[in-house]
Amino acid sequence: MSGAAPTHPESWEELARAASSHRSSPATAEALRQLLCMGVDGAPYAVPVENVREIVRVRPITPIPRAASAVRGVISLRGEILQVIDLRLRLRLAAVAPARSNRIVVVQVEDGRVAGVLVDEVREVLRVPESAIGAPVAADAGIVAALCANGGQFVSIVDPERLLEVGGRA
Amino acid sequence: MASKGGVRGGNKAAREFVSEAEEILETMRARLADLSDCLGAGAEADPDLVNALFRAAHSLKALAGLFRFDPISSLAHKLEDVLDGLRLGRVALAPPLCAWLDETIALFGSLLGQVGDAAALAGSAARIEELTAGVAAITAPSAAPDEFASLALDPNVLRALTEYEEHRLRESLRRGRHIAVVDAPFEIKTFEEGLAELSSALRESGEVLSTLPSPGDSLESQIRFSLLVATDLPPAELAARIEFPGAAARTVRAGRAVPAAVAAPAATPAQVPAEAEGDAPAPIPELESLKSISDTVRVDIRKLDDLMNLVGELVIQRGAIGDLIARLGGRSETAKIGREFAKVHKVLDRKLRELQSAVLEVRMVPLRQVFEKVSRVVRRLRRELGKLVDLEIRGADTELDKLIVEALVDPLMHVVRNALDHAIEPAEERRALLKEESGRISIDAFQRGSHVVIEVRDDGRGIDRAALRRRAEQVGLVEPDAVLSDKETLDLIFAPGISTREQVTETSGRGVGMDIVRSNLAALGGVVDVESTPGRGTAIAITLPITLAIIQSLIVGVRDRRFAIPLNSVLETLVVDAGAIQVSEGRSLLNLRGTPLLLRRIDEEFGLTASARAVRPCVIVVGVGEQRLGLIVDRLEGQQDTVIKPIQGPVQNLRGISGATDLGDQDPVLVLDLSALVEDALRRREAA
Repeated sequence: MSGAAPTHPESWEELARAASSHRSSPATAEALRQLLCMGVDGAPYAVPVENVREIVRVRPITPIPRAASAVRGVISLRGEILQVIDLRLRLRLAAVAPARSNRIVVVQVEDGRVAGVLVDEVREVLRVPESAIGAPVAADAGIVAALCANGGQFVSIVDPERLLEVGGRA
Repeated sequence: MASKGGVRGGNKAAREFVSEAEEILETMRARLADLSDCLGAGAEADPDLVNALFRAAHSLKALAGLFRFDPISSLAHKLEDVLDGLRLGRVALAPPLCAWLDETIALFGSLLGQVGDAAALAGSAARIEELTAGVAAITAPSAAPDEFASLALDPNVLRALTEYEEHRLRESLRRGRHIAVVDAPFEIKTFEEGLAELSSALRESGEVLSTLPSPGDSLESQIRFSLLVATDLPPAELAARIEFPGAAARTVRAGRAVPAAVAAPAATPAQVPAEAEGDAPAPIPELESLKSISDTVRVDIRKLDDLMNLVGELVIQRGAIGDLIARLGGRSETAKIGREFAKVHKVLDRKLRELQSAVLEVRMVPLRQVFEKVSRVVRRLRRELGKLVDLEIRGADTELDKLIVEALVDPLMHVVRNALDHAIEPAEERRALLKEESGRISIDAFQRGSHVVIEVRDDGRGIDRAALRRRAEQVGLVEPDAVLSDKETLDLIFAPGISTREQVTETSGRGVGMDIVRSNLAALGGVVDVESTPGRGTAIAITLPITLAIIQSLIVGVRDRRFAIPLNSVLETLVVDAGAIQVSEGRSLLNLRGTPLLLRRIDEEFGLTASARAVRPCVIVVGVGEQRLGLIVDRLEGQQDTVIKPIQGPVQNLRGISGATDLGDQDPVLVLDLSALVEDALRRREAA
């Protein structure tokens, strides 16, 4: 894990360590939610950490014919074949050239459905109190479930269930 | 292994409980079906069957208690009580009781489905109470006059009998068997062996009802036992047969066939040691269920999947090592070590193949279980429908991947039900047609290459083409003026919305037609073919791959992409000139040794346009069931062992793609779904 820039943590373990090391407010009685913060087109998006199975570097993606456009294709992850949803395309943003900082976040939901989510970069694990989380302004892409204030910036919290429903209906 | 999280796995203890309980239920269903047959045939309830049922209920109760599933354990308790009553003759075997047992076992089945769902389990409480309450009415005690008074038996012996022994005695009397008491002295030091020897000798000619110590005169070093025996042999003959030192038999009650005769004491001392020394002197059913008699291990199929994944990964790594060896060999300074490495690699390769087939082997199960389920349903249905049908099953030892066997049950059951319900005519009709009164359904399973074929044949009325055609026109599947070949007409039974019988029957009219059968089987890579002669019968052939786990695939290149084609469906591959591909009515054709072969271009199928087509394309001739299709690709890239994986993610129903495989370069290759491609190609032909 040597060559990585500090802003682009390599592994899930590394992120978890970082998150627990700056436990900011041990005095607060309020429940804290842990969110994995990801950068897409310069803006912060997040998913609950309990839905994140792992984070991997980008690997060859085999396109699948006749699939929804936000699905870039499939990757092989230790023998498992996972579809990869491009979060940029899912948010209706323009595609850009791949970069070294790109990551695939493997997201899993309650009923066991799982998919890779391609993001520009993975930033950090946020620990935020419930009170900092509020309703979204608009939901035109339909996947942002809430907003969360974080140091003067709003982080869009993505609903993993809806994110993984891109397929047939989208 | 990939961390799959606890969500999908569920509670391990509960899963184990469910799988073990299901196995017990399966046994119970089989025994109960046999018992109902006994009853139906007017025969006696076989005590072995009743005992087996009782033991199963007992194990189920113990198991449920262990896992603290109260609703199940209380129901199992009730069931055990009822079966115990039946076993001891307190309850008579009658149709309402069979029905109650049937319902109770069915309820168990649904309770198992609710394990882990507290709300659903609580919801079933009412049904449990209903069944518990209902049983009182049907378990009226069977009439038991005191027949024992007339027996020439010491009242002390009668008093010492357990309830079960008493019941067996009563039952034997009712059947008119001879009852005898065999008395014999045994050396105290070795009486257990002696007793076992005598018992097993007696068991050859009858049933040992009870073994009791006897007060008779004996030497100091000896102990006497009396064995109460029920037998069909006249007592004199019995006495002659048991060659046991000092044994004497006397008749307590003569059977119906032979007048009373006082038995002579047995003569010659036995020199031959008893063979069945391990035999217990009397059956103790309760204890038998406690010890495990099987040396098999129950394994969650998911664990086998994980194992298979690991093997798949090893196979992939083996490929990578092969590449490294080639590189070592390519340079003169490393060529020597490269050669040595290659030798080691060869051994690794062979062992890996052995490991692969060993793991595959573990997944294979015989079709027997499925066939037993089917035959039970047939027995039940033929009672309900009042039809005379013989079921013949051949090839029950044919093995298939466990997952495929599981998924086969419903489609197969459906096909058999159709045959029984629709195809086989009622007995009067068959008589009028000069057919054998009893219909015949046969199920044959056999292996054909890397596939297994299961053929269901009946000698019923056959498929009515005209009615099928009318129905298809009614629902708008076929234009009235369309010309269909006989095969195409028959294939209409697999189209959605077709049912040639107007009325919906309980048996096969649940709105699930042959279309579901075909699509369910297609999901397993299987195909269904039908053949039918009016008035003579119908044959439905189901062809399934033996395993889904590791298969040989042909890797092909189409423009800039690669695809895998399961090799077991590839009949041949040809390299042709682009000019050899002809077009007729917008369809591509190839003259294959005089026969037109329908072609499909993979790039058109999937809308691939990047980079150019090859000048001399390849045609892969694939066969799916009886159908043939040529797939046009640009390159053949080789043949490889592939582990086909489902594609996980939001997009489902990837038409034409059955999964993907990793060939070791981390770049997944999509696997073509040949059944879908062939079906689509033919449909387009029909539409054209």
